Amino acid sequence: MVPVRASLRRRPVWARAVGLALAGVALAGCAASVPPVAPGTIPVVAAESQYADVAAQVGGRYVSVVAVMNNPNADPHGFEVSPSVAREVARARLVVQNGAGYDDFMRVVEAATPSPRRRVVVAQRVLGLATSIPNPHLWYDPSTMPAVAGAIEADLARLDPAHRAYFAARLARFRASMAALRVRIGAFRARYAGRAVATTEPVGDYLLSALGLVNATPFRFQADVMNGVDPAPQDVGAVESLVTGRRVAALLENAQVSSPVTTTLAGLAESARVPIVALYETMPTGFTYQRWMAAEIDAIERALATGRSTRRLS
Amino acid sequence: MHWLVEPGFWSNPVVRTALVLGAVVAVVSAVVGVVVVVRGQSFAGHALTDVAMAGGAGASLVGASPLVGFLLAGIVGGGSIEAAGAERVRDRDVATGVVLGAAAGLTALFLYFVSSSTSATGSTQSVLFGSVFTVSPSVVPLSVVVAVVTLVTLLGVRRPLLLSSLSPELAAARGVRPRVMGLTFVLVLAASVALSALVIGAILSTALLVGPASAALRVARGLVGATLGAIVAGVAAVELGIVLSYDSFYWNAAHRSVPVSACVVAVVLVEVAGSTAWSRWRRGRG
Repeated sequence: MVPVRASLRRRPVWARAVGLALAGVALAGCAASVPPVAPGTIPVVAAESQYADVAAQVGGRYVSVVAVMNNPNADPHGFEVSPSVAREVARARLVVQNGAGYDDFMRVVEAATPSPRRRVVVAQRVLGLATSIPNPHLWYDPSTMPAVAGAIEADLARLDPAHRAYFAARLARFRASMAALRVRIGAFRARYAGRAVATTEPVGDYLLSALGLVNATPFRFQADVMNGVDPAPQDVGAVESLVTGRRVAALLENAQVSSPVTTTLAGLAESARVPIVALYETMPTGFTYQRWMAAEIDAIERALATGRSTRRLS
Repeated sequence: MHWLVEPGFWSNPVVRTALVLGAVVAVVSAVVGVVVVVRGQSFAGHALTDVAMAGGAGASLVGASPLVGFLLAGIVGGGSIEAAGAERVRDRDVATGVVLGAAAGLTALFLYFVSSSTSATGSTQSVLFGSVFTVSPSVVPLSVVVAVVTLVTLLGVRRPLLLSSLSPELAAARGVRPRVMGLTFVLVLAASVALSALVIGAILSTALLVGPASAALRVARGLVGATLGAIVAGVAAVELGIVLSYDSFYWNAAHRSVPVSACVVAVVLVEVAGSTAWSRWRRGRG
């Protein structure tokens, strides 16, 4: 079974109704247009917005980065490749994707638009992991992005050797800010290591283990929610009793993957006064990757220290 | 009881909701199912499940309760099958087929938008195949109300309804209006399908509607006996299915349990096969 899932934030009913109407109009006029690439820049396509952000941080003014799933409503599971995505990938000199079965559609598009000059960075391969790794949310691991940024920098330097020094300097700056994030994680760990939390879905599990938190939720339950199948009642009962018995300090929910089970769980957490923290699956707009991770860590710390919930990052 | 029920069964809140809701739904499906089988409307019942499916998918798109979606769609779809006219059996068959196809198409469209533009996950699974273990306990009161209204309505019209099913000419002579009866029964059917779609999913709800009723009609004598038999068979299928699904968690080391809908349908099939064998054996002797 390939674990694939990501989708989005709840929006009000009227917004969905309008979206539905617009989708109908869009279907009627299928001629998708691709924005032009700024002259003198390397066209880069990233499958997810967080990888697009890192590519832009390393490439600076010499790259034009497009995120395939820049729409916070794109779901890799139900994602259907549009002609504009195929055209962007065909034109790209560098493609960045997560791998691990999370964005398999990228492989399909790349195979359909072969280009000998295109370089592809796959985070899962950069980290030396197997495609079948159970938790595909690699970007929540604080050691992932520095490695991926290194691979992006190496490819950019090969594509545009004249600006090799510029890319190296930007990579160094990115890694320095990631080092600051790691210091923040170390400080958190020193204060809160060993505290137990519950989760709805494995999105943030790599960050939780870096923070030294113990995820008391059975992985089977998290994987079932991620894959959109019903968790066994035994697992649902176990997770609900974690919350109702206040045996965890917080409930971390994937705000972008909800089901009746997660909604019920959040309701139980509210009435048991267990704070809830929203972990985003894709980078919310208005953030950089580092600021997003820092905001998530701040929200978790606020929950553990003061018992306050953060259902939304802003 | 330990040979049958694995530990923690009775204390699990998810299981308790499932047992209560399952029993309520099984009773309604069984009672309505007997009339469906007598009237020869299994196909119309199945078409309504597809209509309900579109409603369930629409409800998960706008974030409404699935029961409300199943119910509204069933009423609209059932009403249009009746309104399409269909005095003759063949016309009725065509009208049913057209509504069924339209509903399945709408379902595909709604589920596409659910997966591409909302945070809802697993909607396809739960709308088509049900998930009584994930139903929120808050749905139970509304389900009970719908169940009671459905049963009371059916009880109220049972005489003219059965008369117009078994002997339309005699019913007409007594002043029973067949269109009114048809419409009333389609609405009752829509409510029953909506309830069973919650428990075993829209596609599989035909099994719960037709299976226990047809098994009981083969074995029991008289409509009252068949109805009571269908209730027993239906409740047994749902509750035993829930027990089997719960126990299947312990059948393998990876704790991959068998979905509850598959277990319920398996028990229904065993009941139908058993009743067929029994009625053949009895006929052979008599």
